[in-house]
Amino acid sequence: MATHQAAAAPPRQVGTGALARLDRLGLLLVALAAGGLASLPFLTFKANRIAAGAGKTLADTLGTAVAAAFLAVLALVAAVALLDRRPRVRLAAALLGVGAMALAVGFGAGWLTPPGDRFARVAPGGGAWLLLLALALLATDALARLGLSPLLRMAALAGAAAVTVLAFRSGLFDQLSVMREYASRADVFGREARQHLLLAGGSVAAAILIGAPLGALCALSPRIRGAVLPVLNVVQTIPSIALFGLLMGPLAWLGRTQPWAAELGIRGIGAAPALLALTLYALLPVAANTALGLGRVPATAVDAAAGMGMTRRQILARIEIPLALPVILAGVRVVLVQNIGLATIAALIGGGGLGTFVFQGVGQTAIDLVLLGAAPTVAMAFVAAVLLDAVVDALGRRPA
Amino acid sequence: MIELENLTKRYGDVDVVSDVSMQIQPGSFTVVVGQSGSGKSTLLRMVNRLVEPTAGRVLIDGRDVASLPGPTLRRGIGYAIQGHGLFPHRTVAQNIATVPTLLGWPKAKIRARVAELLEALQLDPGQFAAKYPDELSGGEQQRVGVARALAAGPNILLMDEPFGALDPIIRVKAQDDVKAIQRRFETTILLVTHDMEEAFHLGDAIAVMSGGKLQQYGSPEDLLLRPANDYVSRLIGSSDRALRALSLKTARDAAESGDTDGLFPIAPDANLRDALAELIWRGADAAAVSGEAGTPPRRLSLRRILALGRGA
Repeated sequence: MATHQAAAAPPRQVGTGALARLDRLGLLLVALAAGGLASLPFLTFKANRIAAGAGKTLADTLGTAVAAAFLAVLALVAAVALLDRRPRVRLAAALLGVGAMALAVGFGAGWLTPPGDRFARVAPGGGAWLLLLALALLATDALARLGLSPLLRMAALAGAAAVTVLAFRSGLFDQLSVMREYASRADVFGREARQHLLLAGGSVAAAILIGAPLGALCALSPRIRGAVLPVLNVVQTIPSIALFGLLMGPLAWLGRTQPWAAELGIRGIGAAPALLALTLYALLPVAANTALGLGRVPATAVDAAAGMGMTRRQILARIEIPLALPVILAGVRVVLVQNIGLATIAALIGGGGLGTFVFQGVGQTAIDLVLLGAAPTVAMAFVAAVLLDAVVDALGRRPA
Repeated sequence: MIELENLTKRYGDVDVVSDVSMQIQPGSFTVVVGQSGSGKSTLLRMVNRLVEPTAGRVLIDGRDVASLPGPTLRRGIGYAIQGHGLFPHRTVAQNIATVPTLLGWPKAKIRARVAELLEALQLDPGQFAAKYPDELSGGEQQRVGVARALAAGPNILLMDEPFGALDPIIRVKAQDDVKAIQRRFETTILLVTHDMEEAFHLGDAIAVMSGGKLQQYGSPEDLLLRPANDYVSRLIGSSDRALRALSLKTARDAAESGDTDGLFPIAPDANLRDALAELIWRGADAAAVSGEAGTPPRRLSLRRILALGRGA
């Protein structure tokens, strides 16, 4: 039977198969990176912070010999992306590409900057960004195909974070414009990053404390659900800047008239309204997912638990919450990522956070400064998403 | 003994259970039969106070169940339901250990008890203890549900349509298993079903409910031969009533002394329905039923079987 089937299978044809055997995603990524490097500058050079930039190709940046070596490495990565379907090999190739690119960008920036020039700004150009995008997608795809366990995923994330931190600490990127901006703001950067985490984390924590019980009430009573969820839905649709504005008046009044409120730092502007607004945004996903998760707990399991003599509290703690937890955490993941991004806006009303750099940068038309605020925000959101995904996955696979 | 005294449950203006009184003998297998909406589940749930009665009371061994806190009461009474209600996030062993854990048993004792129950229900502990409910077949899940209900060794086991989710072939096996377990642990079982076959197959006593009222409560023979009203006789179905009656009696009980020369033998434990089928198939008028040790075989005639089928 088996031999018969094998004989019936269409014979592999070299002629038509050559293109078909290429990995489709690989083809797209190689085209993206190659097109970017060919048509866009690898790095851009500016004589000072706000001067117009001049594009520099790979050869301009690295010199012919090194550029050729770099391209040879990239060609190897491209060959793997096109031809090799083993996820491990693809991941290794992507990491090799990222490493080579980090060196090329770091050293290239150093070579482009005239010695002793503290005003010149070198930044990655469109070509470099597209290459990074292609390599990141290659790595992500390989990781997804590897299907790592949640624990291994967290370990991989920790490893990647450690290597990234080391690379920045080593001074490799010190000549890049973003790091120049960082160097002149190192003290403020740490403070604003902490403030950013505090705003995002604090608002999510508050939203869990308020939203989870609210969601539980919604699960218990359709009437409460009908009242609460639509209100939170409306809150969710208010534009963030408008919400800050709406909160300013009442909070300013509270801070003026109530001594205890003033003592807590509640004013019309600053961290308090920012925290409050972020909490309000986080309420709907947390409450709705709690209600959904609890609602999906099998009724027979709850009936059996009651019938065997569990108290209401025991049923909640031992049956309902553990069974609803993956869904609740999926909601928390959404709001954490959302609020890490939204916390950027807090800077507009004096709430601090990494948004400070973004808005300063916008005001000064200094795109590097914008990047100094935006890039860490994206990184934080990415780390939060991977971590919580891993936790949700671990719980969903085999809750203990 | 469980005594229900004038139990009534009213939701709004509707009496879901209306003035039901009955006594359930210790060690008996009592089945409450009724269609959906008859109030049978509510009646069951008032025994362990998952539903509080509007009027009337429940006594277990003379003690009013209302005198105990609900959870404490329920930890002493087994409870198994349709669709098993196993906890999907807990292993088979953890599921079975639910009530012993609530009661604070030592870990070693719980482990031993879980193993004992799994074996009693023909589930290999080494193979099943660490599995999760979704890894089991329907029949296995049902057995784990029964094991969990029996975990703390309750004297009373309440079962609400426990076989409802099983396909017919597994169901008969599951019913026989529960009946064997009941004899082994001498548990008083109160089981609710809509299936009259199941009631006759399992029950020592059957209670028929309709419209919240107890229509009849008695032995299976009582219901067959002396139905209290039209509803009961309709529910039982008149067409094969005689055969049902025969299936409740054994050859040993029906055999008479007489000539057994040349008659084919029939097992004393065979019920009369099977004996009749055998006689018809062989074209014989009578069979020989072997006696107790040392006593001569006795005669079971077609005429005798037919008379018993008419309730004589």
